[in-house]
Amino acid sequence: MTEPIISIRDLRKSYGDLDVLTGIDLDIDRGEVVCVIGPSGSGKSTLLRCINLLEEPGGGTIALSGTTVFGDGKPQNLDELRREVGMVFQQFNLFPHMSATENVSIAQVKVRGRSRKEADEKSRELLDRVGLGDKVDEYPDRLSGGQQQRVAIARALAMDPEVMLFDEVTSALDPELVKGVLDVMRGLAESGMTMISVTHEMGFAREVSDRTIFMDGGVIVEQGKPDDVLGNPSHERTKQFLGLVLAN
Amino acid sequence: MEAFFQTYFDFQIIEDNFGYVLEGFWYTIRLSIVGGILSLIWGLILAVLRQLPGRGLAPVRWVAIAYIDALRGVPLLLVIFLISGGLGALASEGVIPEGLGIPRWFGLPDPFWYGTIAITLTYGAYMAEVYRAGIEAVPRGQVEAARSLGMSHGQAMRFVIVPQAVRKVVPPLLNDFIALMKDTSLVSVLGLVETVQAGRDVYSETFNASALTLGAFLFLAVTIPLARFVDWLIKKQDMKIQRGIP
Ligand SMILES: Nc1ncnc2c1ncn2[C@@H]1O[C@H](COP(=O)(O)OP(=O)(O)OP(=O)(O)O)[C@@H](O)[C@H]1O
Ligand SMILES: [Mg+2]
Repeated sequence: MTEPIISIRDLRKSYGDLDVLTGIDLDIDRGEVVCVIGPSGSGKSTLLRCINLLEEPGGGTIALSGTTVFGDGKPQNLDELRREVGMVFQQFNLFPHMSATENVSIAQVKVRGRSRKEADEKSRELLDRVGLGDKVDEYPDRLSGGQQQRVAIARALAMDPEVMLFDEVTSALDPELVKGVLDVMRGLAESGMTMISVTHEMGFAREVSDRTIFMDGGVIVEQGKPDDVLGNPSHERTKQFLGLVLAN
Repeated sequence: MEAFFQTYFDFQIIEDNFGYVLEGFWYTIRLSIVGGILSLIWGLILAVLRQLPGRGLAPVRWVAIAYIDALRGVPLLLVIFLISGGLGALASEGVIPEGLGIPRWFGLPDPFWYGTIAITLTYGAYMAEVYRAGIEAVPRGQVEAARSLGMSHGQAMRFVIVPQAVRKVVPPLLNDFIALMKDTSLVSVLGLVETVQAGRDVYSETFNASALTLGAFLFLAVTIPLARFVDWLIKKQDMKIQRGIP
């Protein structure tokens, strides 16, 4: 039994009076691919954002490979955490004033301390890997949403993270662009990357994830093999949610 | 009609005093450029101080905000008197060295430097507000993306936020620069013969306003092209926004 790469205990978060996360316990193993589903407002994004401390949790602990990164009510080893955890956002958030390559290189140079040449080489390699080998010098405004999102994935990967977080990365995309991004994520999962992905793509969850988590009202309601959670859920709320999703 | 032209457009007077007014205008230009550049820098420093994160740095933010509010809230003319009177007095009492209290750097007279300092202090505050609006116009997701890549707050500002904010602040900063240039005429109260004072000197000798008219045209020769350039920049940016480009 190896140590989990992420270990979360009793994670809490509120905005004022609104309790968004009300006690999350979650262990993620190295190489595991986890999909998180749940209704809007259930706290999925907040969970991801707490994991890399874009939001400061209200309580609980988060450990990364055994190192506490949040505990005693405050962040610890924040730099290490951010270096080991990559995140991809729904709105891509590419830097509009930089070319695709520069987007992928900037943090390699400024945070990882690589030389510009070394970084650019790695960036081109990664852009090639996400199918954008011919777009390395384009600026974001000249790329489709799907292409931008793949640059964003390459940008996160360039930091050699141990864990990748994906927050509804295909939700803002036109349907015909979704597949390209999912293909990249599938490839990443097969390469052994540890991934936590909030998604509405049930097909993707079923096919790619090792574990599917259903969240509602700030807690994990149910989790397990995707075929079980999605195909034969044991909780009423999960059934309801999946019924709603299928009805759409 | 004849009298009107005589008063404002006496070409003989304009010709005779062209050199004198132009010399004044050369001060106006130098005040504008030196004051403008220093205001740009000082404004950026203020904006960054005002934007520092964390609870511990709250006092720094408060001081920056108080400064900005204060300097935007008092007339530049008053600041000019405060600086010239204050620095001069402090130097004569030996509190600060004379080189600082009665500055004559680069061979320019002390009214020039008092004016430059006052303009910088005041317009730095205006420009800090422009920078702030620019920083706030950059979507939140940009900082988050930068931070999630492991950049510090300072790195995120420097490499991600400020370069984007700069594009948005160029037009309003140029507008501030036009206002600044016109306000340099206030330094004449310290006896600096810039454009307006040069025109007044000619007027008090000749009782004819033509040299002032000349001054006005010299200003317009700079401010109108600048204003047109600002319009063009804004239009260009609007077109980008219409095409859905941030
Ligand atoms: N910065 C904030 N300030 C106040 N309330 C917030 C903030 N961020 C999120 N919330 C609230 O927290 C709750 C959970 O939000 P969260 O974004 O985690 O939901 P989600 O499960 O990701 O939903 P969706 O599927 O719509 O993305 C929502 O009610 C939301 O309005
Ligand atoms: Mg969300």
